[in-house]
Amino acid sequence: MFDVNWQGLLLPLAYLVVLVGTFLTFSRVYRRRKALESANLAPWFGPHLQRNIYLSLLHMEPEEGSEKAPKVPDSVIRAALLRRAVEDIHRIIQIRTAKAACGSLLQRGSVGDDLWQRFQRAEKEMEDELRDVVMEANALVPGWGQIIFQSANEIAANKVLRDRLEEIEAQTERDKEWWEKRRASIKNEFIKELDEESEQGQAKAGSDDEAVLVDTNTPSATPSGASKKKKGKK
Amino acid sequence: MSTDYAYDEEGYLWPFFVFTLALIITLPLTYIVVKRSRDPAASFPRIQSNFKHAHTDTIDALRKKEKRKDRKLWLILAVVVGWAVMGYMLYLIQTTEAPTHKLWNPYDILNIDESATEKQIKSHYKKLSLKYHPDKAKPDPAKNETLEDLNARYVEISKAYQALTDEDVRNNYIQYGNPDGKQGFSINIALPKVIVSDGNGKYVVLLYSVLFGVLLPYLVGSWWYGTLRRSKEGVLMESANRLFREYRDNIDEGGVVTALSTGKEYEELLKGDKADSGLSKVESRILAEGDLSPLAGGLSVKDQEKLEDLESGPQRKALALLWAYLGRIELDDAELNKAKFAVAPIAHSLNKAFNAIALAYMNTGPLLSSYYASQLLIQALPPKSSPLLQLPYFTPAVVKAVEGDSRIHTTVQGFMDRPDAKRRSLVVGKNLLSEDQYREAIGVAKQLPFLRVAKAYFKVTGERFIIPSSLVTLVVKGRFVPPGSENVPEINPVDLEDIDPAEDDLDAIAGRKTTKLVGKDEKTGKPIYESAETELVAAPLVAAPYFARDHSPRWNVFLTDSKQGRVAVPPFTFAQFDRPIFEADGRTPTFAMQTLKAQFAAPPQAGHYTFVMHVVCDSYVGFDTKMEVTLIVEEASKAAEMEVEDEISEPEEDSIAGIMNAAKGGQPPKRRKQAKAAEEDEDSDEESGTDDEEDDDTSATNTDTEPED
Repeated sequence: MFDVNWQGLLLPLAYLVVLVGTFLTFSRVYRRRKALESANLAPWFGPHLQRNIYLSLLHMEPEEGSEKAPKVPDSVIRAALLRRAVEDIHRIIQIRTAKAACGSLLQRGSVGDDLWQRFQRAEKEMEDELRDVVMEANALVPGWGQIIFQSANEIAANKVLRDRLEEIEAQTERDKEWWEKRRASIKNEFIKELDEESEQGQAKAGSDDEAVLVDTNTPSATPSGASKKKKGKK
Repeated sequence: MSTDYAYDEEGYLWPFFVFTLALIITLPLTYIVVKRSRDPAASFPRIQSNFKHAHTDTIDALRKKEKRKDRKLWLILAVVVGWAVMGYMLYLIQTTEAPTHKLWNPYDILNIDESATEKQIKSHYKKLSLKYHPDKAKPDPAKNETLEDLNARYVEISKAYQALTDEDVRNNYIQYGNPDGKQGFSINIALPKVIVSDGNGKYVVLLYSVLFGVLLPYLVGSWWYGTLRRSKEGVLMESANRLFREYRDNIDEGGVVTALSTGKEYEELLKGDKADSGLSKVESRILAEGDLSPLAGGLSVKDQEKLEDLESGPQRKALALLWAYLGRIELDDAELNKAKFAVAPIAHSLNKAFNAIALAYMNTGPLLSSYYASQLLIQALPPKSSPLLQLPYFTPAVVKAVEGDSRIHTTVQGFMDRPDAKRRSLVVGKNLLSEDQYREAIGVAKQLPFLRVAKAYFKVTGERFIIPSSLVTLVVKGRFVPPGSENVPEINPVDLEDIDPAEDDLDAIAGRKTTKLVGKDEKTGKPIYESAETELVAAPLVAAPYFARDHSPRWNVFLTDSKQGRVAVPPFTFAQFDRPIFEADGRTPTFAMQTLKAQFAAPPQAGHYTFVMHVVCDSYVGFDTKMEVTLIVEEASKAAEMEVEDEISEPEEDSIAGIMNAAKGGQPPKRRKQAKAAEEDEDSDEESGTDDEEDDDTSATNTDTEPED
């Protein structure tokens, strides 16, 4: 019936094929690249050392020559699990505090989408990790799963406090040294000044004593000491 | 009617088309180019100083390079091409003769005057027909005439004659401009015929497919991915992500510097072998013993550990260079020194992203650390070093002479507050400053814009009390008092008040205008204000001889909760002020009272809220202000009660307003009676008073103050 001009239709058909083909290729390449990218996202947290220790304690390989693996005492395994829980607490706190900030920053466009993806993956991993720890704890001691994170939390808080204390205490030696030096230099200055003044005749020495007391922590007093040092040199 | 689309065969129309197109594109581009080529920093005032250090040339070169980078070559090229095209088109329009479509004019053809009468026309026609009738006239071989020409000419002449004498033909002529009646008209498309001529079609299709199939997707794609690549703060998204991971709740300035070294931007700067070359040299220099700090780079033991934990590569080199920059360490190598000055601006731009991240966490400590890191980067000072090093020629030796071995640093203000003789005796001397250097340093110090806060209080525009959830304005009044200023005038208490703009002055309410003190009312002594157009004044560009960018200093005002260490009201940033800071000579301070305003929502519960207000300058070390302010939020019912007393319209018990008032559960009826009585007394008083006195009420809206300490 219809006399179809196939040759004339060739061009539009070719056009359609090229168009659809381009779209298909583009979407496939794009999706594959996206998938690859999200698969290659770096993990949020570094390697979980405590978990690795625990797992390697649990699955000790038998040493060469002996048939059976060395028996690990129960208390050691429990301690290792507790350590693992403490590390989990640290990570959970980090995730909890970062969540709101990360979300609002993502909305404002201040951080990228892949950061959010990494974050969500870390969150999911942490959930699995917590469940795993609870199960392990229950397997070791029935009922321990309910309280292991409580004790871990206390240990974590204590550790933070102790770290801070140690940091402060580490400074004491240096501060002591500095103070000894400073006290000596101030003393020297005043002795020199007193000598000078006694040469010139009796002058007011009492008022200067007060300045020594103030000297320790007010900034205004310091330069006066320095100026006196200069005077002393002359 | 025949419509006939013709392409522009004579080639006289398309130049117009192309000219218009080129004009539309070129003009905005030209505007952009001209605007960009003007140095934005040139419009800012500067701090006058002749100070030069060993690397001023390097810094200047880096600043120039940055400005060049801003100029886009393709833009200039496009503008040049655009103007060239336009010029050529104008030339074409000038030279191409438009084909003349003469108007058909019978008078011209008959060659008679237009004022000729019919009689004259007739006689003239007769004369002409005698002369030009084809039977009479002979073709003139000299003029190359043929018999047809003669015929045509005669026809024209008779047509013209008819047009002037015959009624119908005359009507045709008048209506359509032609004795034959309506003529077909043609529409020309202003495109050269080349486009549609045979054989060129494929090139046109090719051009189209390149434009729409390649160029358009490319432009859209590059724009889209460009926006994805950079964060809102203008740093690479990857850098922002890394900075987010570096955030710690207890981060200090050194930690911020370490975090800033994670940026991807340095990888561009430290490409290839630059990533490692000279690293050991830089590290040995910054870890050597310093004059003022244990390590020359000014880094703490913790920072040193962090540096040494890094793998060698761009990040470690960037961090080492940053510490070398902050410690102002000479690296004895032109390449390394240049890199040292180049990393600081990058770190400063990254710090903006870090600041946004710290703000998202709403913790005070990291936010302050970020601002302090910005100060340190701009002034090239290590953390916890003396602010005096900001002054020109001040070396560690000079600072030591001023501070002795005290651990508490002398601020620039503290140093400048001392009498001149005392300052001089401290810092001028052998191995210290020369007399000229001293004068220069003092000159610069006396130009530094130190914002001294005089008063800070809360208010709600047009209200006496701050009720829960209302929009509160934090008003900070302060003056720029450069360190060491003499004869600072007393604060005029009138300046400290913040007068609400008149209710009908919408511009002023919206903040587009400021009020200006015009004079004082003679009788009452009340100030008279007149709203004036705001002319915002920027502070002078920061005096930072080591920072390879021009930077306009900013002041950030924010409120924190000191007990929780959280930010209560996020920072408001001020770079411009409503009153001039310096006189026209750029050196003499005006001591004008500046007003900084920040609006936020009041807490939903009534009570006293004590905040710590921070005013932090992002460019100068030791110029920050920290003070306590108390926000008193009254119960809504109390404010309503006051309003009722204020206004005449006490709602009747049976009116809708009265019922509403009762529904709010404000006051028992008895008290309201009393209030009514009291209010009636006041009414009579108030009516006798003048308008000025009524204004008095609104001026007392200030609820709380913490005077300058």
